[in-house]
Amino acid sequence: MTESLTRRQFLRAGGLGALAVAAGLQRSRAAPSAAGITVVDQRRVKIHLAHPARRVVTIPEPAASMLIAIAGSVAPLAGMNRVSEAAVDEGILGVMFPQAKRLPDDVAGADFAPDVESILNLHPDVVVQWADHGDAIITPLEEAGLNVVGLDYGTQADLEAWVNIFGTMLGVPGRSRQVNSTMAQVLAELRAEPKPASPPSVLYFFTTVESLVPAGRGTYNDFYIKLVGAKNAAEAITGDQGAVGPEQVLAWDPDIILIGNFDSGTPAKFASHPAFGALSAVKNRTVYKVPLGGYRWDPPSQESPLMWRWLFELVQPARSTGNLRAEVKSYYKFLYHYDVSEAQIDQILWMGLNSSATNYGRFKS
Amino acid sequence: MFEVVGAGFYYRRGAWVFRDLSASVPDGKVLALLGPNGSGKSTLLRLIAGLVAPKEGEVRRSGPVGFVPQLQWSSLTYSAFQMVLMGRTRLLRAYESPGRADVFAAKAALERVGLFHLAERPYASLSGGERQLVLIARALAGENDILAFDEPVSALDLHNEKEILALVAELAREGRTVVLSAHRPEHALGFADQAVALFGNGEALVGECASLLTDDLLARLYRAHVRTFSFRENGTVHHAVVTW
Amino acid sequence: MAVSSPERVGARDAPSSSYRLEQPAPGAPGAGAEGLGGRRGYLLFAVLGASVLAVAIGALAVGRYMVPLGEVFRILVSRLVPLHRTWTVTDQDVVVLLRLPRALLTVVVGAGLALCGAVLQAVLRNPVADPQLLGVSYGASFGGALAILLGLSTVALMAGAFGFGLVVLVVVFVLGRSAGPAPTLTIVLSGVVTGAFFSALVSFTTYIANPETQLQSIVFWLLGSFATATYSADLVAGVPVALGAATVLALRWRLNVLSLGDEEARSLGVNPQATRWCLLVAVAVMASASVAVSGAIGWVGLVVPHLARPFSGSDHRRLLPAAALLGAAYLTVMDTLARTLLPTELPVGILTAVVGAPTFFVLLRRHHRRAVWVDV
Repeated sequence: MTESLTRRQFLRAGGLGALAVAAGLQRSRAAPSAAGITVVDQRRVKIHLAHPARRVVTIPEPAASMLIAIAGSVAPLAGMNRVSEAAVDEGILGVMFPQAKRLPDDVAGADFAPDVESILNLHPDVVVQWADHGDAIITPLEEAGLNVVGLDYGTQADLEAWVNIFGTMLGVPGRSRQVNSTMAQVLAELRAEPKPASPPSVLYFFTTVESLVPAGRGTYNDFYIKLVGAKNAAEAITGDQGAVGPEQVLAWDPDIILIGNFDSGTPAKFASHPAFGALSAVKNRTVYKVPLGGYRWDPPSQESPLMWRWLFELVQPARSTGNLRAEVKSYYKFLYHYDVSEAQIDQILWMGLNSSATNYGRFKS
Repeated sequence: MFEVVGAGFYYRRGAWVFRDLSASVPDGKVLALLGPNGSGKSTLLRLIAGLVAPKEGEVRRSGPVGFVPQLQWSSLTYSAFQMVLMGRTRLLRAYESPGRADVFAAKAALERVGLFHLAERPYASLSGGERQLVLIARALAGENDILAFDEPVSALDLHNEKEILALVAELAREGRTVVLSAHRPEHALGFADQAVALFGNGEALVGECASLLTDDLLARLYRAHVRTFSFRENGTVHHAVVTW
Repeated sequence: MAVSSPERVGARDAPSSSYRLEQPAPGAPGAGAEGLGGRRGYLLFAVLGASVLAVAIGALAVGRYMVPLGEVFRILVSRLVPLHRTWTVTDQDVVVLLRLPRALLTVVVGAGLALCGAVLQAVLRNPVADPQLLGVSYGASFGGALAILLGLSTVALMAGAFGFGLVVLVVVFVLGRSAGPAPTLTIVLSGVVTGAFFSALVSFTTYIANPETQLQSIVFWLLGSFATATYSADLVAGVPVALGAATVLALRWRLNVLSLGDEEARSLGVNPQATRWCLLVAVAVMASASVAVSGAIGWVGLVVPHLARPFSGSDHRRLLPAAALLGAAYLTVMDTLARTLLPTELPVGILTAVVGAPTFFVLLRRHHRRAVWVDV
């Protein structure tokens, strides 16, 4: 009798011990320091938070929607840039997260200059700001005693870093890893695609109404143009600051033209420009308006993999395999826990503006 | 001819420079304005020329007045000819540029003052006497009945002074009415027909030169001892005024 | 010899005999009609006119997309007379739809700005007067920026640019009238101050403008560009510049007289205030029209009259037309460079400043000795 009790006791003790060890390990993984979270931003500055950020003010335009995506809700967002607010009001993010429309947006002026007093009134745990626009827009915030997370703009690596930083800041590092690994997977698939023998040339325009500003080499747009196997028609230009004249566009004569979401330009408006009737892309109707989802698909964002897929389908229509609409549905479920409807997908893909474009029929429901 | 009737002027209300001044100058006669600095000679001259409006009284004229200003710099390099041509502006409509007749008149005026050979020279590069002659030619080019000279010889040497005054006298003899402001009494004596003596405090006296410009008056006008010496040379009387 | 009746000098009838005038020999200085004429005058204007034409046609051929000169001629001729097509559709679109309206605009604006500069330099008796310096461009820029900010139509934009350009000129004139020993300096100072005020207002509009939609348009004003040249812009600029130029050219003799100073001008039968007002209004109309279509372009009104003066002389009867032609050619060259040097379009205002400032400096030094402009 005594011997069987001892064995049961021993097993139970061992089990409890194992549980205790397991629990101990869990605790140490979740709390690396004695109390709170350490976030390292892209300036390599360490920010210490007592707890996961509960009130965040975002000044960079893409940061608000990314925060919502990583957090899975609007809750940690305390205030955002006026421009982000506009994107929320106009796009599907405002539909998915209607509370976002009511958030304060007077946090910054033009050129991202922070309105320190308005921000202080919101009592944020963290303020997210650009790190590559100079110290003048960061120092006033830090001197007011605020925690500033600085972000750099432009590359895929930057994008992945943002996802990680936000995840750490919000206390959901696992979520970040998920987002980044999904992105990495799509990236790997596209990189594995064989490059076409004679790559088509793509020209992306940030704006087309008041002036024609293309994306030159080194921009994020340049990155994904090359990713999907095309050439950047504006290779001769660096960056994204310069406006070109219509005759330069005629000289380049790209195969595909992308109209960005930074102004109210549309393929129809573009084609109606007096001298563009002679452009190959206008004649072949390969002028497309870039989609606008939870955020614009033009710059780096959490929805970038969808952008890459979209562009791949248009650049290499023969090789495309996926069903973009299904991917949008599943990605939105993953990112925003939202079931996006067919009508909303049409809106995201600008089906109305792009309806008569070549190869766009594949995106119909 | 021109007539000044009861003219008065002040810069500050109550401080009349001259008042109730009347003078009548027929064609071919010369009126000289005399007085110390700041006595209102320039003002009275401009009043007669129509550049300034009197505070009281009026000026009646038989025709336009050609104003010859004191020598000064011009800031653009017009040629002597172009300067003279500007005298024709009065005869042109607002939107007109000078035509062949105006060009001819300007050349004739330059010839009249003896400077035709300097027509294309920049005005600013001419000597003082030459520039004064150009300004006179400008007034002539405008076909003016009356000529007004603002201290025409004060910046000139003796030779040029003689030349200019001789020209002015000749222009008067040709029938024009002349008024000039003079800083030395000799420019009035033996040369002008009538004179105005301006004391600057409101008092002004008008009269024939010979009778008005006595030593006593000149002494009172310039507040100095004055003695006039006259001599006859070749039938003409010349005067010299000495102060001490 | 005494003459009873007053002489009339050179009236429209034969000269009187008391003037011992000899007609100068044909080759002598001053022979021949004055004004635009004279052998030297005709040569100057022939050369200038040919330059404008050559530069304008060159501008049709040159750019990021080159069109052979022969094809340019054929395309132009084919607008009037049907020709066998030897050029591509793109060639034709570039020449007719893009470059022709633009070249017309640079010619009109270049002539207008140069005239503005020449007239202001004479009216204000100041060699560094320029519509930019007098604040008119800043006022017009603000008028346009305000219209953009309020989301108004293009017509309102033009009206705004016009209106505020005129307002600035009125302010400058009123301020600059206040006597003092150096009236022209006062005017220039008041122009600088008023210009700075409106420049600050423009900066304010850039600050509150929506960076997504309005900011870019407003920045366009500040730098000056012909990128949006259309045939309607040609008309919008062409009519006011033509009216202003006609006014100014009609008054060019009076401008000579005005430059002598107010009292002398009055003594010569010119009403200085009225003439000045007329000229300044014409200047404001031309300068505001230029800003309305192409933003604020500086250093053209300032430099071109000085470039023209050594060839045409100070007489405005020749200087004004010469400056207008030279300005047309100058700005067309600048704009062609601005859109050709780099793949991206340089704002032409930058190029005119970069070229204009050293050019002005060189002119001042070289002509200081020749006393093209003698200062008081």
